[in-house]
Amino acid sequence: MKRTMLFLLIFLFMVPMAFAAWQNIALLAFGISAGLLAVIYMVGFGFGLNEMQMMAKEELVQLIVFGLLLATLVGGDSILNSISTNEGLAQGSATMQDAATLIIDDIIDDSGEIMDQISSYDLQISREASKSSQCSIMGMGYTVSGCGGYTVLAAPLSIAGNIVGFSIGELSAMKRLIQITKEFALNLLLPLGIVLRTVKFTRGAGGLLIALGVALYIMLPAGIIFNEMMAATFLDDDDEFDAELVYGPAAPTANIAECNAGDAASLTTTGNEDNAKEAYRGLRSDIRKYIYTALVRATLGPVISLLLVAASIKAITSLAGAEIDISAISRFV
Amino acid sequence: MADVCNIIFTNFFNDTILPLIAYASITTAIIIALSFMVGRAISNPKLTLWAKTESIQIVVSLFTIFFLITIINTLCSINMNEVAGIFDITTSAPTEHVDVYDAASTYLEEAAIYSHNALIATRYHLQAYTVLGYLNAFICDFSTGSIGWGCLFGYSGENQQPLGGYGAKVAALNIFFNSSIISYFSALNFLFILIFVYKGFVFLFLPLGVFLRAMPYMRSFGSLLITMAICFLVVYPVMLSIFYLMGDVLVNREGDYLSDPSMNYNEKVFPDEAESGAAGSSTGAAFAGADYIYEKYFPGEDRYIEAISFAAYAFIAAVFMPSVAMLATIASISYIARLYGEEIDLSRITRMI
Repeated sequence: MKRTMLFLLIFLFMVPMAFAAWQNIALLAFGISAGLLAVIYMVGFGFGLNEMQMMAKEELVQLIVFGLLLATLVGGDSILNSISTNEGLAQGSATMQDAATLIIDDIIDDSGEIMDQISSYDLQISREASKSSQCSIMGMGYTVSGCGGYTVLAAPLSIAGNIVGFSIGELSAMKRLIQITKEFALNLLLPLGIVLRTVKFTRGAGGLLIALGVALYIMLPAGIIFNEMMAATFLDDDDEFDAELVYGPAAPTANIAECNAGDAASLTTTGNEDNAKEAYRGLRSDIRKYIYTALVRATLGPVISLLLVAASIKAITSLAGAEIDISAISRFV
Repeated sequence: MADVCNIIFTNFFNDTILPLIAYASITTAIIIALSFMVGRAISNPKLTLWAKTESIQIVVSLFTIFFLITIINTLCSINMNEVAGIFDITTSAPTEHVDVYDAASTYLEEAAIYSHNALIATRYHLQAYTVLGYLNAFICDFSTGSIGWGCLFGYSGENQQPLGGYGAKVAALNIFFNSSIISYFSALNFLFILIFVYKGFVFLFLPLGVFLRAMPYMRSFGSLLITMAICFLVVYPVMLSIFYLMGDVLVNREGDYLSDPSMNYNEKVFPDEAESGAAGSSTGAAFAGADYIYEKYFPGEDRYIEAISFAAYAFIAAVFMPSVAMLATIASISYIARLYGEEIDLSRITRMI
């Protein structure tokens, strides 16, 4: 038994030479931790301190878990990469992270077009609504504003701009998270998380890094891709849906007629009120087309993905040894 | 160099903290010894058992402090640029020695600057839209070109706001203006906590913790003090230093503002009256109309979507990532406190984030 332990220790210190840089550090950490635990156990045994002996035994279990995690990571890199490059998930791109980034860029472009159209309508509506006619000669005159009907159309456009703008921001934040994990998840977060997990003081931090790395690398892009696939499948399959509805930005059709500011009331002829109503009907029809992109693709999709990430982090941190209250992160969703 | 690693701090630690720890340990040892003697004198086994248990605990507390000092010295000697090299990551200053504590404070400073830049970009757009929205034009009736004959003998014409319709963009940008402010303040908040730790106040928890941990009914509070010192001195800076390694992406070290660096978001689009060119700008605005003013604010293109994205990136760098570091610290406090005493419920602290 003693000879076996000795050979194992020598092997552990010799093996780092066969690996790349961070694995060296990880195995060195493993060896140093094993040495420290041996010292702690010897002190506890020598002084008859059962608490120290129990702590050393408990930490030995954690050290074995660390070794298993390390072996899993070295072998599991390929598992994570194979999930990432799976054809069904990668959707024609090199990895699922690239596929998710393309989807996000596409949604941001569509949302940007929608935002431009909403802004264009807003500009026209507000210009017409601001008109007033004035006539004054020799100090006598009148002012009349016959475009009040257009004023009420500005508020819904503000709300629409609010929603679309918020979704653009949310998608941009997710794109940044995917970019971070693509660059750093496998080569920094996971290895450092495993190394930090070795030491008792930093076990929680190590577990959180591991959870962040795995959850953001897999679950975040997966959520985006699944939502997109779900919505596309629904649109393809639903033959009975109104074929005239367009799901996404399209050429604007609402007509914002010019307002005659001096025309305060037209009871018998088509006047400003009718133009405002016509503009409202046109806007109502156009804005319906934006709902699919603004609410389903750009808002619901990211929310589902982020909730998946939050749930994964909670589950993985529990497995990694230190459950973390991630309700603070969930509030960011 | 971070305060924790320089000579001034070492002197502070040796001259102030270590003596306090020594006083606390000696005082505790005296109390324990007296309790043991009284217990033997009155033949009270509970008292003698307590004294024996607490004598071991004081040794554990002192060993922990020694271990903490060793870890701090180790973190001061680690060069994060070398760590970056191990993981094949490039940093902005690869030849400098950046210890863990430096890296942590540098990341938060960069996050604060980044979120402030996002604030500038968002505020500039809001300013532009507000100014453009308030522009009023009076168009005289019977006009020939820009001359309105209807205003020769009075006022006859139409009043309008030619660029009044930025409500949608303003509504969108307002959210991200508020978000940028939150990002900026959050980065500063986390930085202040870090500086607070670096200035050494958290070390005052150590002598208190050593003393209280050995007192009856105060074990959990004493453990909490020692654990907080450990976690804020080790876990919190380590997590932030890891994000420092990711700084090229997180805080976009290569870039400055948005994709068009010539758009420098100058506050003085229209200079003050005392400065030269002021009269020319005002006259130009009066005659050339709304488009002239629009071109002043947005010489190339209106980049409000980039401004929104910038604010979102700043939120990730200045709020999300430091919050993750703080969550890891709080989780570590819970985890380590179990080692030293009873479990501490820190769920209320996480609501602070």
